[in-house]
Amino acid sequence: MAPAKKSKKSTESINNKLQLVMKSGKYTLGYKTVLKTLRNSKGKLIILANNCPPLRKSEIEYYAMLAKVSVHHFHGNNVDLGTACGKYYRVCCLSIIDPGDSDIISTTPGAQ
Amino acid sequence: MVKFLKPGKAVILLQGRFAGRKAVIVRVFEEGTRDRPYGHCLVAGLAKYPKKVIRKDSAKKTAKKSRVKCFIKLVNFTHLMPTRYTLDVDLKDVAAGPDALATRDKKVDACKTAKYRLEERFKTGKNRWFFTKLRF
Repeated sequence: MAPAKKSKKSTESINNKLQLVMKSGKYTLGYKTVLKTLRNSKGKLIILANNCPPLRKSEIEYYAMLAKVSVHHFHGNNVDLGTACGKYYRVCCLSIIDPGDSDIISTTPGAQ
Repeated sequence: MVKFLKPGKAVILLQGRFAGRKAVIVRVFEEGTRDRPYGHCLVAGLAKYPKKVIRKDSAKKTAKKSRVKCFIKLVNFTHLMPTRYTLDVDLKDVAAGPDALATRDKKVDACKTAKYRLEERFKTGKNRWFFTKLRF
């Protein structure tokens, strides 16, 4: 019961943290820009939806491994991730450049 | 948050005539130039990989099989797949100046020096991954 409760709580808090980043920080949405931020080492955290195509997921994880950036696998598909970002479209992957007031980067570092 | 597109990085070209070929980054133009206003780099790669050399081969055959054909190209970052491998071959003087690829004979000269260096490296038996063809 406790682990299940904990995971529910942490997904909610990821959503809250994302909300704060959308409001106060810098981010980019979408595969092309995520790769761009990884290449020029601006990205600090990558979030992937769970229905991201496996080839694309592996590619982003490989780039993130080279750039030593952590990747978070969101518990929801691209529709949910878009909603979590407050957007009315689907978001499969996003990159956080500057977290602003949020502590999303310090509290989800080991989440692979 | 670590820059990984640095000189010496082994990459695989994804687009163009040399798609699927392995190359090594020689020079990086992070912010681009006036002619190419995007991030790109100069790579030196293998147009023709060396063939598989076996112990039975004579010296003449080994020499013939160890030949490589080189290419030097300016490639957009989005047309590269970086790998975790590096190849520390001294290719910095191959294409030093900004006009190293301007005229055809300068390009051919640069290719020849790169070919010589890469062949040397292949013969030592190091960086074996770089000199094997990517099967796809």
